Amino acid sequence: MTFRQRHLALPVAVAIIAGCLAPLAVLVAFSFYEVEEFDLVPAFSFRAWGELAVSATDWFLIGKAVLSGLTTTVFTVVLGYPVALALTRLSASAKGLAVIVLLTPLYTGEIVRIYAWRIVLGGEGLVNTVLQGLGLIDEPMKVLLFSPFTIGLVLTYNNLPFMVLAIWVSAEMVDRRLIEAARDLGARPVDAFFRVILPLTVPGLAAGSLTVFALSAGEMLTPSLLGGTSGSTAMALVDNLFGTAFDWPLASALALALLATLFLVASAMAGLMLRLKGARAVIGRA
Amino acid sequence: MQRFTLNRRQMLGGLAAGAGLSLLGPMRQAFAAVPEIVWATWDSNGHPEYVAAFEKATGTKVKLSFLSSEDAQFAALKTGSASDWDIVNPSLNQASRYIKAKELMPLDLSKVPNLATMYDVFKTTDKVKGEDGKTYAIPYLWGLNPIVYRSDIHTEEPTYSTLFDPKFKGQLAMRDYALESIAIAALHLGIPRERAFLLTTDELAEVKKALIAQKPLLRTYWQTIGDLTNLFATGEVTAAFSWRVPYDALKDKMKVAMAKPKAGIMGWCDCFGIPASLPEEKLETAYKFADYLLGADYAATIAEIGNYATTSSIIRDKLTPEKQAAIFVDDLSVMQNFIWPVAPENYSEWLKVWNEVKAA
Repeated sequence: MTFRQRHLALPVAVAIIAGCLAPLAVLVAFSFYEVEEFDLVPAFSFRAWGELAVSATDWFLIGKAVLSGLTTTVFTVVLGYPVALALTRLSASAKGLAVIVLLTPLYTGEIVRIYAWRIVLGGEGLVNTVLQGLGLIDEPMKVLLFSPFTIGLVLTYNNLPFMVLAIWVSAEMVDRRLIEAARDLGARPVDAFFRVILPLTVPGLAAGSLTVFALSAGEMLTPSLLGGTSGSTAMALVDNLFGTAFDWPLASALALALLATLFLVASAMAGLMLRLKGARAVIGRA
Repeated sequence: MQRFTLNRRQMLGGLAAGAGLSLLGPMRQAFAAVPEIVWATWDSNGHPEYVAAFEKATGTKVKLSFLSSEDAQFAALKTGSASDWDIVNPSLNQASRYIKAKELMPLDLSKVPNLATMYDVFKTTDKVKGEDGKTYAIPYLWGLNPIVYRSDIHTEEPTYSTLFDPKFKGQLAMRDYALESIAIAALHLGIPRERAFLLTTDELAEVKKALIAQKPLLRTYWQTIGDLTNLFATGEVTAAFSWRVPYDALKDKMKVAMAKPKAGIMGWCDCFGIPASLPEEKLETAYKFADYLLGADYAATIAEIGNYATTSSIIRDKLTPEKQAAIFVDDLSVMQNFIWPVAPENYSEWLKVWNEVKAA
């Protein structure tokens, strides 16, 4: 990147940093305020941080967000790699069509998708009706809807396109001769994948993983409308504290703790991916 | 007797004066009337046809600003982001919150003549009064939150304890709302309705145990009334603490009914309120609108289209018995069994319990 090109990115970078830092600064300030008779009173109180420190529920929900983000990331990586690699083998026109098909579910709104899942997975829904029709089950499988399984399935489905696209872009840049050379030298397909393809597609893997992790760890609507009684999330609690409880200091403290935790986990993920053999060579190539 | 006669000049003069007055009349009204007032309310309370008669009578257009939640309304007033709202819609159970926060102005009740027709239970409530004894809000629309149930599956009318009955495991739903859900558990445990919203810390602990034990029996917690209607329509849920909406939407498609538990019926009531910051020139129109909400036109239209009753008895006796039953005014003794969900002093403790139940 030349000196001039770098400067072109400067206004956007400033806008992003300001748009991120300003609300964070407000949250930090609010977390030390006090609430009196539904009024936020500027103060330097550690009440909210103290409550957060000893709240098992809050930390449980933060942990749940991390777990949800990590499991969704792992599922989308496992499912996304074969799809992304298959995309690289298609003709140019077929690639365009495949990408459109891949993104089609995202063109519908999230609420539409949620109610569609209810129709598919419900007790009287498509899957249960077909399975009962085939005589494979006698009673509807209630676990399909309103369970942790549902949350995992839908978050994986919703986020899969982001992972596939990121890996696909990286995979397109892999020199196929390197894979052929590895095979010629006796590497099994699985070895060629782990020792050649995986390190060379780390930039896409990292971009996809960090995106999917952030999107799924912060998801609120899908768990609350499809997760049944297991659908509570840290984000919903933040929403509840800002709204119903009018406890803005505690809501701010919880939001900051959640953010810091997710940031640390995302940093650890990025660090781990850089440690993959050969990854540094690709990342440092620019 | 002198005969009254008009010559041509007098006739023309009279016609001209009449024409002039007839022109000046509307002009005077146009100058006096506020062109528009903004009413922040629920979409179910403020269909355009509900306010058409007011617009016609006053020449003031009612712009409807629909609320997404009570909390959002309070937050908008609190943060000043709702500066265009002229009339707001606090609920009876949350009115004190707005009054304490000084978001509403005290009302001059002499400017609302239709208050005379209000049912006593609403007329005498203290929940709309401030510590200074002044009235800050006027209840205008109310209803009951029943248990809606599938009458083909539940052969006996459900009570609150039905929502905790393992026999119906996987078919029940509760609202994701601390205030009502905790009170229902309290009523299920036998705590009298007078104290359902005044629980001690020990009672809250007992309620928490009951709600955690209830979780495996529930299909889900419902978030919006559309969400619950969908749950009934798709056969996921057969009984739930509800609003009446699923019953109205589904009564012609499946066997559904509404139960009014004897332990106490949760009532809801919406109030008229004027933001403390309303400009002086809009005040007169705002009072006219309050009077309209308690008048016959609004009551008749919302009873007909929305199946809701206003707090005024003004049209009750003119309704058919079926319509009276539909809007719960056939048997007025129901008003003796109301429980008004009121946020308790230790509400933050309630919210903490509810969040712990959901995360358990």
